[in-house]
Amino acid sequence: MKILVAVKQVAALDEDFEIRADKKDVEEDFLLYDLNEWDDFSLEEAMKIKESTDTEVEVVVVSVGPDRVDESLRKCLAKGADRAIRVWDDAIEGSDSIVISRILAEVAKKEMPDMVFAGVQSSDQAFSATGISTAAYLNWPHAAVVADLQYKLGSSSAMIRRELEGGMLQEVEINCPAVLTIQLGINKPRYASLRGIKQAAAKPIEEVALSDIGLSAADVGAGSSMSRVRRMYIPAKGRAQMIEGTIAEQATKLIQIINEFKGA
Amino acid sequence: MKMLKSKADLVSKAIKKADIYCAAAVYEIANTNERNDLECLMFSKRRDALSLARWEHTPASVLQALSENVLRNSDIANVDSAILTRIEKNPNTPSLALSQHYKSEKYKKQKLSFIALVAEHQNTPLQILESIARFENDIEGLKSLSRNISANASVLTILVSRIPNIFDKNVAAHPSASANLLELIYARGNAYTRAAIIGHKNCPLCLVESAEQNGDLPLLMLRQLAKDERLSKNTLIKLSSNIDSVVRYGIACNLATPKAVLSSLSHDSSAAVRRAIASRFDLTITSIIVLMKDKDVWVRQWLARNLRVPKKLLEQLAQDKHADVRRAVARNPRCPIVVLDLLAQDESAWVRSAVAYQKKTPRRLMQLLAGDTNIDVLSGVANNHHTPQKILQKLALSAEEDIRRGVIINLNATRKTMLPLLEDSYYLHRLMLIKKPQLNQKDIWRLCDDPDFQVRFMAFRHIAHKLLVNSAQE
Repeated sequence: MKILVAVKQVAALDEDFEIRADKKDVEEDFLLYDLNEWDDFSLEEAMKIKESTDTEVEVVVVSVGPDRVDESLRKCLAKGADRAIRVWDDAIEGSDSIVISRILAEVAKKEMPDMVFAGVQSSDQAFSATGISTAAYLNWPHAAVVADLQYKLGSSSAMIRRELEGGMLQEVEINCPAVLTIQLGINKPRYASLRGIKQAAAKPIEEVALSDIGLSAADVGAGSSMSRVRRMYIPAKGRAQMIEGTIAEQATKLIQIINEFKGA
Repeated sequence: MKMLKSKADLVSKAIKKADIYCAAAVYEIANTNERNDLECLMFSKRRDALSLARWEHTPASVLQALSENVLRNSDIANVDSAILTRIEKNPNTPSLALSQHYKSEKYKKQKLSFIALVAEHQNTPLQILESIARFENDIEGLKSLSRNISANASVLTILVSRIPNIFDKNVAAHPSASANLLELIYARGNAYTRAAIIGHKNCPLCLVESAEQNGDLPLLMLRQLAKDERLSKNTLIKLSSNIDSVVRYGIACNLATPKAVLSSLSHDSSAAVRRAIASRFDLTITSIIVLMKDKDVWVRQWLARNLRVPKKLLEQLAQDKHADVRRAVARNPRCPIVVLDLLAQDESAWVRSAVAYQKKTPRRLMQLLAGDTNIDVLSGVANNHHTPQKILQKLALSAEEDIRRGVIINLNATRKTMLPLLEDSYYLHRLMLIKKPQLNQKDIWRLCDDPDFQVRFMAFRHIAHKLLVNSAQE
């Protein structure tokens, strides 16, 4: 039994930053890297399945990215993942989420997991496409925004609840193997124990080249992507007004504005 | 890791670790040569310099060095304004660095945007604030100055005298505004400004007296006036029957309000007014008896927390149908043990939790509550200094973070109880342990190799501080 968890190292920003000279991204010095928040939940969901049974379950985390991504993969290992795989080739730079999905699907074909978990979205790019596109490349069933999962090892189906608008939940039975994109709040992710962190430092991270998964440089990168970033910029500030005055005056003005909007 | 004994050993260890946060932690105890090495480690990569400039724990000495480093190694054309901006926004930035930024010729062209940051920083020296008030023309910068709580009455006077009206409202709310300045602004202010001045702690008596005599005072001002303890008895009585409940609320909070007025406000139609009465430290028995029967849960809750309520009446409140009222009784420092006995078995975990947190709760009750399964109750047990050590040792191994944190906070927890928590999976817990007096230097030293950078920083800093104190005593 194996669960493959696709994870991403995301970049966070502080309030002040600079845009790169080519205007296509933020200057790297201003980026703070960490494991995508959603992926913490999908890893925890895999760990819960692993820990709920005596049957051997292997949790494998996979990510596409350069050397620095090892730090996030080690975090997953420290939390209990059995193996970590990192796919990288300089040619991958500039790939869109669909190309990344293709890479992940090739890893999945090689690993032959019983389930693939991914986060609903990444906090930095927010395409919400990687998990679903991976399912498409694998020709597997998929479910997005999974807020609850009932799955017994070896079952041919799983019961899931998907989060919809207006606080609604949709209960779905899905055939397995499947790709599920996991929503925040489905569980309470653990902190890595100090022992886990020490052990993770000694564990190897499997570095996979494109050729190892049957792909070439021509299959990846901006050239093979269906979308390309043209520019990144901060839009002109919208209509905003600083409410000034004494506290009582600010409160009065605020009430006036609310009443105007309400048409009162 | 071997225990270190001297400052040089610690600095050398931090340099060997090649970790910018450990380097920042020992910078203050380093000598000139060591500081050069540390600066090289901390500032040579722009990414690291940006991180330290922004980080809320970066020591003032490191921010000063970074500021000087940027100004020294750049010219007017290529000054790294991103780092300087972060330094100016950092609350730890020392006054010297802020003065140097303000006076620097190197980025005079960009200075306008920096003025607001320097003007609002609480560490900016008074002479710079005064200079900004006297000579700068950037309105946003001057607005920042008028809100800076480090500005004194003299700076504020210069500002409002030089540019009247624009900053009056901010100055009217500024704690350092003097009585004279407030009087000046009051004369030209609108009702909002005047209301803020009437509510100001430095409001001159003449303004209060004049407002008191004004029969046509705007409601905004009346609401502030009602809180003033200098009001005459007659005015207090008159305002206690004002149609506006906020005015009556002000009277209910006013320490000068006569007892008879307070008794009558215990029957007020506004729950907010009655709540204010119920929370007074000088509550009379007559009011207590009235408020015991109040329909508003919050009134009874405030009453149940009040130290003036006799024990017999606390017993009655402990039978209240609302759990929040019973909880408030359990939190009352005067709650009798017999009542705590009763509340320890309450059906609501929120009430039992209050008993577990109560300092008076005896050891035997803590043993009983330790058998509870609720996290809030067990967190209280973990916090309480009457909890037996054996129970604390068990709770230190709980799977729940809140419970383990309770043990860390507990002043009675011994070193033996705390030792397993040095391996706690939650970094904040390891961080909290650094300053616990129960742990010794050797224990803290283990945290210098912690995987979390904040824990490493705090552990290094703690040891550096101890070495600094020791060398000062020698």
